[in-house]
Amino acid sequence: MKVGIKQKKINMMAILMAVLVFSTLAVGFSTNGNSSADATKPAKPPKKSTHPWEARQEAAKLRSAEVVPLIKELLPETPSQRRARLGDKVPQIEDIEFSYFLLNNPILEKEEDLYGPVRFMHKKHAGMLNDCFVCHHHRSADLQAPEITRCSACHQTSFNPEVPERIGLLGAHHRQCMGCHKKWNKGPVGCTGCHPKNVPSHKELVKLTANPSPTDVTKECLRCHDVQGDEMLTSTHWLWKGPSEFTEGSEKRVDMGKATVTINNFLVHLASNWPQCTSCHAGYGWKEADFDFTDKTKIDCLICHDTTNSYKKAPLGAGMPDPDVDLFDVARNVGKPNRKTCGECHFAGGPGEPIKHGKLNPFLDFHSTSCDVHMGGLDLQCHDCHKTRNHKISGRSLALPVAEGSRTCEDCHTPVPHQGKALLNHHLNRHSEHISCTTCHNPVYAKCGPVKTFWDWSTAGDKSRRPKKDEHGNPDYMWETGEQIWQEKIKPVYAWYNGKAKRHVLGDKVNNEGVTILTEPTGDIKDPNSKIYPFKVMGGRQAADAKHNYLLVPHLAGPDGYWETLDWEKTFSLGMDAAKLPYSGQYKWVDTVMYLSLNHEVLPKQFALSCVQCHPSLRTERSCGQCHMDKRGLNFKNLAFSNIDFKFLHTREPDTQKRVQSTDYIDFKQLGYKCDPITFGGRFKQLPLGWHSVSAEKNE
Amino acid sequence: MKISRRRFIGLTGTMVGGALLGKPAKSGAEYKPKTPPDPFGCLVDLTVCVGCRKCEQACNQVNHLPSPRVSFEDPRVFEQRRRPDVGAFTVINRYYGGKRDERNQLHPTFVKVQCMHCQDPGCVSACIVGAMTKKDNGATHYNASKCIGCRYCMVACPFQIPAYEYHDPLFPRVRKCTFCYERISKEGGKPGCAAICPVESITFGKRRQILELARHKIKNDPGRYVDKIYGEHEVGGTSWLYISGDSFEKLGFLDLPTRPIPYLSETIQHGLFNYLWAPLTLFGILGAVVAVINRQQNRSSSESVQEGHQPDQDTQDTAGLQEKPDSSKREEKL
Ligand code: SF4
Ligand code: SF4
Repeated sequence: MKVGIKQKKINMMAILMAVLVFSTLAVGFSTNGNSSADATKPAKPPKKSTHPWEARQEAAKLRSAEVVPLIKELLPETPSQRRARLGDKVPQIEDIEFSYFLLNNPILEKEEDLYGPVRFMHKKHAGMLNDCFVCHHHRSADLQAPEITRCSACHQTSFNPEVPERIGLLGAHHRQCMGCHKKWNKGPVGCTGCHPKNVPSHKELVKLTANPSPTDVTKECLRCHDVQGDEMLTSTHWLWKGPSEFTEGSEKRVDMGKATVTINNFLVHLASNWPQCTSCHAGYGWKEADFDFTDKTKIDCLICHDTTNSYKKAPLGAGMPDPDVDLFDVARNVGKPNRKTCGECHFAGGPGEPIKHGKLNPFLDFHSTSCDVHMGGLDLQCHDCHKTRNHKISGRSLALPVAEGSRTCEDCHTPVPHQGKALLNHHLNRHSEHISCTTCHNPVYAKCGPVKTFWDWSTAGDKSRRPKKDEHGNPDYMWETGEQIWQEKIKPVYAWYNGKAKRHVLGDKVNNEGVTILTEPTGDIKDPNSKIYPFKVMGGRQAADAKHNYLLVPHLAGPDGYWETLDWEKTFSLGMDAAKLPYSGQYKWVDTVMYLSLNHEVLPKQFALSCVQCHPSLRTERSCGQCHMDKRGLNFKNLAFSNIDFKFLHTREPDTQKRVQSTDYIDFKQLGYKCDPITFGGRFKQLPLGWHSVSAEKNE
Repeated sequence: MKISRRRFIGLTGTMVGGALLGKPAKSGAEYKPKTPPDPFGCLVDLTVCVGCRKCEQACNQVNHLPSPRVSFEDPRVFEQRRRPDVGAFTVINRYYGGKRDERNQLHPTFVKVQCMHCQDPGCVSACIVGAMTKKDNGATHYNASKCIGCRYCMVACPFQIPAYEYHDPLFPRVRKCTFCYERISKEGGKPGCAAICPVESITFGKRRQILELARHKIKNDPGRYVDKIYGEHEVGGTSWLYISGDSFEKLGFLDLPTRPIPYLSETIQHGLFNYLWAPLTLFGILGAVVAVINRQQNRSSSESVQEGHQPDQDTQDTAGLQEKPDSSKREEKL
């Protein structure tokens, strides 16, 4: 870990250097920037794409609408007879034409409208089963017909007297899926495990008079959903604190969170800043510390359940809705949360603008895969991954300790995500034991918009300073918050991560010798549970108590807040009062760093890192052939360089130019390896021919 | 003398009873069941049902029933056995027949309960105003506008299906599964429950055809099913048929005779009402008995009290016989 920390220091220094260089450069340039207003660029949809997988959801929708003629006669043969007949022509996973389906055939009569269609990962299932005939269990008696046909070629309407023994498509899907899922004890068997549930229209159900108050709406919701109200009262979206099972040393605590001890290097802390911060709270009127968390009628149901796209909160309103919102209309149109409703807060982290995470932003709501394959290409909603039960939403982050369950890529993609018998897949699957999916599949973050990577509070308050604009048009300075660095298409920082985090919380001592790390992934090259993950590193300069040596809470908004008074002394004394910690009256500026996880913005394989980008040893003429004999007519060079190298990404995102052709993407030494593991062995594995693995060496 | 007289009376009673009981056997040949020629039916494959209660939900929607007390997604309802009632025409009950799965967990069998739509329904024959009728498509149909609320159908049903809206003081109705009469009367229409069942545990079709299907299934997979189609012969056959992997007794199915319910009740009634000679004979004999007794009473006044109530006893016997079909039904139900 020593190496890691050293490296982090180096990183930090690099960032600071960048700040310096950047600000010096910026001085000489245009001077007409006018503070924060420009930073909020209206989100414009990225250009329409034509790439096949990009419109995958659309294509799947079209495919799901096709109805093919019913195959009435089946070839009477047993599976082994079938195999014998086919010989080496037995279909393989490589023969799969479509890896993704939407099961929404019009044959599935929809008299009732309880659930939405299932998204079916065809190739994934094929890879798991490794036998197409498990599902494609019969073929047409007509030997000219293709060997494999879709479900709906044999299973159509139910109770067809012409083929009385054949079950309908609805039954076929359910029996096949549930049968296997039960048998193998894998995959969902409940309805909502596969189907999104449809919410019935609430137009008639909601009994409200025009112009209701926000609490009137909540009371009306509670009339039927009282249980859900109780569920909300114990949720982290309501309490802003909760179980912190992934925080090292605090696994059993339930009191950590934004509401209590979490501190960051953005707007620092909640205490004394309620009306501003809580404008993202799923409740009404958290103006002060003594907000009543047992009052169900204060829950803001609409912020998550609005489907009209018109609901929003007032900026400094302590969670109250914007007065212009037609609550009556919104309440009558409630439904399931979607990217917009979640994004109302989570695409605005930072605050107000999507600058915090790398990168949850409104672009994710547009259908573009070059931002995010899940939300863009496949039109997934947040809760499709962040599975929710009893209003507890799973997912963990590095920025916050609270977690109501976790989600990993493997939950859907399995620990062996690369399907197919090709040699490359085998190697990639071996990689999955040591590196996270996002390491390759999220090679640059902040792809579709800039994020802040550095924030210097110490320089805030100079109203006369003219901000400079960087290459993306973002100001380098705002008097409210100080100097800042914006970046786009950023190469992540890589570190070992075992799912847990170390956290600096309110009242912890700062590091007087160097950088104080506020959140940090735990993990080690020798820990088998650790994998290499990409991170965004956010640098900051913020105030600490010179005597007590802990970070200070500034009181920012409001008439007596910093943005009115520009008086740091008063700001900190009011802030620390609210945070219930003594303030000595003296402050100093300290450097802090936060690691933020990069779980979104995932890209498909066309954008992922290629072998050579991390393994320089494969760039040589002989490439893999240095050790492997090239017997199978494989072109190792092609394999190692296959499709990637950012050229494609570059065609979509011009700013990635600088990444093209870059190799040594991952600094193996910084991660604790002796060098490229291809030549020096993996972390646990000793290579033959006398090369030692790094761990073996460390053990010596 | 006393004894011989009693014997005589007993004998008379037996004769009358015998005449009455003998009648059904004879008139049975002329008994016309209401079985429709080619009705629809439903086959429930209990080995397939997953207990999702979607059929209950669909039934609720199709029939505009009140929303349930326990939500359709709540599996806790299985903790109690339920019966169809005015708010739910079909219910799913869970049974453990004793089978275990690969993980050594008891394997549940879910049993859908609803009106069986008997081929020759007891409720129809019991209904004195014709509110219950057997339709050609197989539905046992209830017409609330004809119903006088006597609830005979409830008594007559061997499956205890019809329920009564006791809570409604003004226009209470008998409520039971309708076999989605309106829906299945349309071309290609299916009952709500059969249409929604996600695993197609319910197969809807012509009874003839689904009976064949059931036989085929059992023959093709004898390890999966017990060799019985419940409803094939029970009370003369029902439109709803069941096949199962557990013996039906373990799953709460009643062991019923194969004779249709109306066979017994109607033939007795017909015996009584169509063959007027029987009551005539009865009353003739009774008259003779009374005459004999009176003559004896005249002879010996000391014995008159005892003899006087004998004829009453006799009529009671006869009445008892008339009621017998009902009471036998009750026994069968248990
Ligand atoms: S089950 Fe009962 S109610 Fe239904 S048809 Fe048969 S006798 Fe009538
Ligand atoms: S819908 Fe089908 S599977 Fe579900 S409970 Fe009813 S019969 Fe069983």
